[in-house]
Amino acid sequence: MNFQFDNVSHMLNMDGHGAYVWTAVVVTVLLMTWLIINPLLQGRNVFKEIAREVSREQLRQDAVKEGT
Amino acid sequence: MNWNWFYRMGSPRWFYESTSRWLPWLAALTFVLLAGGLVWGLAFAPQDAKQGNSFRIIYLHVPASFLALAGYFLMATAGAIGLIWKMKLSYMVMKCAAPLGAVLTFLALFTGAVWGKPTWGSYWVWDARVTSMLILLFLYLGVLALQYAFDSKDVGNKASAILALVGTVNIPIIYKSVDWWFTLHQPATIRFTEAPSMHPDMFQPLLVMILGFYCFYAVALILSVRVEILARERKTSWVRERVKQATQNTLGAGL
Amino acid sequence: MISNTGFWAFLRRDLLLINRRRGEVASPLIFFIMAATFVPLATTPDAELLKDIAPGIIWVMALLATLLSAESLFASDYQDGSLEQLLISPQLIVMPVLGKVTAHWLTTGLPLTLVSPLLGLLLSLPTDGYLPMMAGLAVGTGCLSLLAALGAALTVSLPKGGLLLTLIVMPLYMPVIIFGSATAQYSIQGLAWTGPLAILGAMLALAIALCPLAISSVLRLTTIN
Repeated sequence: MNFQFDNVSHMLNMDGHGAYVWTAVVVTVLLMTWLIINPLLQGRNVFKEIAREVSREQLRQDAVKEGT
Repeated sequence: MNWNWFYRMGSPRWFYESTSRWLPWLAALTFVLLAGGLVWGLAFAPQDAKQGNSFRIIYLHVPASFLALAGYFLMATAGAIGLIWKMKLSYMVMKCAAPLGAVLTFLALFTGAVWGKPTWGSYWVWDARVTSMLILLFLYLGVLALQYAFDSKDVGNKASAILALVGTVNIPIIYKSVDWWFTLHQPATIRFTEAPSMHPDMFQPLLVMILGFYCFYAVALILSVRVEILARERKTSWVRERVKQATQNTLGAGL
Repeated sequence: MISNTGFWAFLRRDLLLINRRRGEVASPLIFFIMAATFVPLATTPDAELLKDIAPGIIWVMALLATLLSAESLFASDYQDGSLEQLLISPQLIVMPVLGKVTAHWLTTGLPLTLVSPLLGLLLSLPTDGYLPMMAGLAVGTGCLSLLAALGAALTVSLPKGGLLLTLIVMPLYMPVIIFGSATAQYSIQGLAWTGPLAILGAMLALAIALCPLAISSVLRLTTIN
């Protein structure tokens, strides 16, 4: 197993096929990252929403207790 | 035979809590496999004798195509399990598998097109496999569109599960027909098949990438199913308990 | 027990209903002819070029015409509640569904098949192609009707289901289109055209066996809820 290219610019160029290979790589990496980031962000939003609901209910319960 | 494990698996809470434990490990493994396989394939695998370096796209294209098709079957199976055993969790899996599979199918088509330019001389060729992939994308889009068309989530789930199942019956027929159609119209110049036996130096990184894509699929699917679970089970006490704990922890860290 | 009296009853009933509004039957047919007329205008009147693409054009137009008429398959029964009444019985309504689909085919697929020679004439289809094209259309539009009915059942409760119906059904049409137009193309090229026709027949048999089952369970799902 050897490194197939002379240097970095050779690897970027890939004997003229670099544009194709690297486009495919960049688009794939971007889309796959998005597939991971998107649920993480959504999950955080849902988590925050539930936390807000929970604390609102907590406040209401506390108020009822103080009232009695 | 004891079926308890099966019903326990259908419980969203069990799923959420057990995946919390091992998801980070799976994610780490995925990252290692994908990064390793990609570097191996892009920089260390020998170049193809005929296609030169453009063949390196195979390390993205083939795994994406694999997962696009496997994802459809997974989606349909989850839908069937939902229809038969009325499991909430399996509908959630089906719902999350649809956009994931559609993106992977698009990716397979995109990398295929980019690969086609230096190999066939054009971005789009009506090759049998390319055409079948395009139809697979249409099937995914149909399931997605149907899912969101209904006001009632329950009806939307069931309807798209049935559509996914009908699609599964159709996929082999579609593949065979498109294959037949292609041999009928095949221009002699563009026939392109991978070498029957790939050199092990080229094949090993491909295997790593395929494995990595499978793990990636699992991670992405589990992540979005977890979001779905949180959103649907927001009123239950176990979700509230978890949220309370998490907010207390972050408050403590902040103080 | 699934009685087959449901089949004839519903076939008769739907044909009677369709007979009352004949305009609806005529529209897909007129669309079929009109749209095909546009092809030479949009491309070329050259007979040599047209004859190669004629089977394909006729098939694509047949597909669109079937889809256009499919939306109304269960719509009126859904709106006036008779579909719900039918579904109250616990058994699968396979035979009534098959009767309704047959009525749909008799009023769209069959007329399309019968006027297709006219289109063949307009698109300069060689005379050898007429019989295979009609045979292919007769069998293939049966498949198209069954699949369209499945789409119609899935979207029957949606206020604007028509476009969605086309989206979900079209990918399923792919094999029928391939073998349907191949039947006519084979005969033009002087090959044995019974092969693709036999495959179309096999697809129709499979569709007749599976689609009504799927349609009746889908209807139960989309109407009762």
